Amino acid sequence: MKKKRFFMIKELGAIIGTVVFLIFFSIMNRNFLTVENLMSTLTMASELGIMAVGITLLMISGEFDLSVGSVFAIVPMISAISINSNMNPILAVSLSLLVAIGIGIMNGVITIFTGIPSFITTLGTMMFWRGIILAVTGGFSIMLEKKVGFLNLFGGLIVGEIRFSTVWFMLFAILFGIILERTRFGNWCFATGGNLGASIALGIPVKSVKMTNFIVSSLLAGISGITTFARFKVVDPTFGQGMELEAIASAVIGGTLLSGGYGSILGTFIGAFMIGMVQSGLVLIGAPAYWYRAFVGVILVIAAIINSWIRKRVAG
Amino acid sequence: MKDLVLMKGIKKSFGKVQALKGVDFRVGESEIVGLLGDNGAGKSTLIKILVGYHQPDEGEIYFKGERVNFRSPWDARAAGIETVYQDLALVNLMPIWRNFFLGRELRTSLGFLKVREMKKITLEFLKKEVGITLRSADETVAFLSGGERQAVAIARAIYFGASLLILDEPTAALSVGETRMILNHILEAKKKGIAVVFITHNIYHVYEVADRLVLLEKGEKIGDYMKDEITPEKVMDIIAAAALGKP
Ligand SMILES: Nc1ncnc2c1ncn2[C@@H]1O[C@H](COP(=O)(O)OP(=O)(O)O)[C@@H](O)[C@H]1O
Ligand SMILES: [Mg+2]
Repeated sequence: MKKKRFFMIKELGAIIGTVVFLIFFSIMNRNFLTVENLMSTLTMASELGIMAVGITLLMISGEFDLSVGSVFAIVPMISAISINSNMNPILAVSLSLLVAIGIGIMNGVITIFTGIPSFITTLGTMMFWRGIILAVTGGFSIMLEKKVGFLNLFGGLIVGEIRFSTVWFMLFAILFGIILERTRFGNWCFATGGNLGASIALGIPVKSVKMTNFIVSSLLAGISGITTFARFKVVDPTFGQGMELEAIASAVIGGTLLSGGYGSILGTFIGAFMIGMVQSGLVLIGAPAYWYRAFVGVILVIAAIINSWIRKRVAG
Repeated sequence: MKDLVLMKGIKKSFGKVQALKGVDFRVGESEIVGLLGDNGAGKSTLIKILVGYHQPDEGEIYFKGERVNFRSPWDARAAGIETVYQDLALVNLMPIWRNFFLGRELRTSLGFLKVREMKKITLEFLKKEVGITLRSADETVAFLSGGERQAVAIARAIYFGASLLILDEPTAALSVGETRMILNHILEAKKKGIAVVFITHNIYHVYEVADRLVLLEKGEKIGDYMKDEITPEKVMDIIAAAALGKP
């Protein structure tokens, strides 16, 4: 019984993995376990993590969002263009986040009312919005042409090496963690992804659950984009390409099932941190940057294997 | 006997398939009705229309004497109709207590789940009502046997004060012993004043507990008997004849 309880921890795989990498990288390079490095790891993890939190919520309710990488770019792009043409920064950011919400609604409406798998819907919208970005920018980066204090609230330093993005990440993780585990809506997310038919039969409003989560996913991807933009003060049209897969990987590493109905925000938090760690760890041990993707790929597959094994113990 | 449910002239088509061709169906207060028929007869469709899972193409539905038109199973649950579907009863990956209260979660005034209270009620009620002793309410449904799952779903309906309990093929995948248990739970529910619609294609599962038997075949009602008017063998003959007679 004790043993089974132990395996019922959803985040077990992610915790073990994180410890393994922590030990591995600190043996390989003494600078890994420094405050400075851990903080920059945390920044990377946070910018990815904000997006991953939204993805997790959506995946638990049984849907996907591949368009988050494009939203990650289009939101700061709209902000940058608006601010450069003298719009009030707060208005500009709000407006661009409204666009993110709009994209989420569009993903939701297409998926829910046509019955197309969200994998396909959002693959389509991912390409569509990326195309729009490339067309509008002509492939060139957009620089922020003025100093905007307001943006520090997203990407600036708060104390020491800790950035505001980390604060946002923590806030969103706690907020959505509580929503998921401690509210009726969270219960409905698990039910909708776990057994759609049963949820409908019990009268759960599955469409609005999914719709809400499409919106959350898109909005958080937009906020994630703003935090990165606020740090670099520039938007590149390739911004966030492939990031949707890293966000999904964070969730899966953290124990979330691709098939829905199971997962946790804490797991995703750890998953995002682990990916950030691999990113900074590989840089420190002097591995070429190309190795990063390969590494994340391997971790992802191992995590999925461990998780399916754990899940069998939890749910037969 | 006063009617709890009255369905009149229900028609429903799915594309070219005419699943129901004008069916009348009634359930009396605390009556156990066996709804019988071969696979594809339209049994599930009939009750899904009753609870608002599907909308009828034609026909009228009365519940407790009032014309109703449930737009979703949510409305039907609110009115006191609980349904237990064979595969759609519970969410396997979720803990038992979350399943028990799904859609009817107890919440604080701030909107947070009363987790401890729900776990406690789940454990106590399952033990008292259907004799299932759990080690923890956090166990997932996947650890329960088929019979226990049905029992949890039935207990849930009783707990929330349903006046009508609909069971869609509850015994289809169960062992003899488990079927026995479910039949006992059904009789217990009746004693509490709950009416039960028991759908099955096995007359022997329902004959013992039913007050009345309704026979459905190819979307039409082909028989409606008080139990003492008919033997199980006769019921089987009627269904078999109807299945053969009209291709
Ligand atoms: N959602 C649906 N879409 C299309 N056809 C359906 C649907 N539900 C039921 N049917 C068809 O309606 C008929 C009656 O089905 P059903 O009510 O499930 O029968 P039973 O429960 O008696 O086995 C069958 O021919 C079935 O294929
Ligand atoms: Mg059926």
